[in-house]
Amino acid sequence: MEMPWARLSFRTVCFALLLASPTFVLGQAGVSDSNAPGVTAAQTSAAGSQSSPPAKTNQQPLPNAPSAAPQEPSLGDLGITQQQMQANPALQARLDKRTEMLKIHQRLGLITAIPMVADLITGPMAKVKGRNGQIIKMPTQANIDLHAALGSTTAGLYFSTAYFAIFAPRIPGTHKRGAIRVHEALAFVHGPGMILTPILGAMAFKQEQDGEKPHGIAAAHGAVAAITALSYGASIIAVSWPIHLKFWEKK
Amino acid sequence: MKRRAFLAVLLGALTCGALSITAQTGSSQWALDWSALTYHMSHPMHQVEGTSNAAKGKGICQASQCNFLIAVPVKTFSSGDSNRDLHMIEATKGAEFPMIVVRAQFAESELDASTIHANLQVQFAGQTAHYQQVPFQRTQKGSEVQITGTIPLTCSDFKIERPSFLGVPIKNEIPVRVQMNWHKL
Repeated sequence: MEMPWARLSFRTVCFALLLASPTFVLGQAGVSDSNAPGVTAAQTSAAGSQSSPPAKTNQQPLPNAPSAAPQEPSLGDLGITQQQMQANPALQARLDKRTEMLKIHQRLGLITAIPMVADLITGPMAKVKGRNGQIIKMPTQANIDLHAALGSTTAGLYFSTAYFAIFAPRIPGTHKRGAIRVHEALAFVHGPGMILTPILGAMAFKQEQDGEKPHGIAAAHGAVAAITALSYGASIIAVSWPIHLKFWEKK
Repeated sequence: MKRRAFLAVLLGALTCGALSITAQTGSSQWALDWSALTYHMSHPMHQVEGTSNAAKGKGICQASQCNFLIAVPVKTFSSGDSNRDLHMIEATKGAEFPMIVVRAQFAESELDASTIHANLQVQFAGQTAHYQQVPFQRTQKGSEVQITGTIPLTCSDFKIERPSFLGVPIKNEIPVRVQMNWHKL
């Protein structure tokens, strides 16, 4: 004979045992863990359904419903401390300023290359032609002026470019690796070259004005300028290397 | 009659207890042994890759579902150029949000499959993005399980302003190649 009260007791005892079982305790732990940031609302609500009143146990469970809320690992489990997760707005501001200054450095650096190349091209036009003992051909004033103007522009842009690299904020704890080391090493070549070239140019110009062919250290003006320009170009390539030209690729 | 009812209750209780113990022993935990996470950045003039081996991870499989958590500091990605790495940290707001946190969820039944399809939640650069059914290849090597795959991250998913060179920005796609070795605890 069927006894309805017996079925009721069976379900009640089952539920009571489930409540007391370690799985349920684990499930509850999962609920508390799911309150951590990043856990989706769906998971939280699923976990919440586990603590529904006993009356709901009479309902048919959903076929795919989990028996208990799945436990999720937390950042604490990985040994990650709050300090490691903490934001550093001062460092971010420093990085932002650094990037901004280096962007200007990059743009000005590329712009500087234009008058520098033009100056190299106009250099021979501003040079006295002819060997000793031969007829010396003096350059026109226009050629000298153009060459001097391009040189001044190059120097002005160059030192502005250098300013943004030198005064960009340093980030403590970082060690320089890669192409930046070559880029910076080459600055020790083109930097002094950019100081020396205009000085030698002015000396050569003065000697020409006196009707002399540039001689002594002034005669090295062209060579110094060429080395400076070459090291400057190498410096740009070094920091851009390796270059993979793939402009034909679809965006 | 009362005795029969009592026996039925006792039998039920024992069954419930046994089921409870089975459910408990069905759970498993996983720990990350080694990992290499590599982002790929593409520009018409440059192809750059940055790798981090500093990820930490843990996984728990329970109630037919697996939840894995992987965290990696942004600053640990190295492209071989410190200048570029600092720029990457700046562009991704790595000082404000120093950690990339990935939560993966998949069915426990896929644990033994050669391909795992995971739903991912990625917290990066102060934003959260979801990627559904991302395939990962699984290879068992002794006691270790090797997981490889690619997470299709994009700059726009995380509101990252794309860095540019010569006025041309990098590609929006910054896929992250994942290589991980896990072992069961």
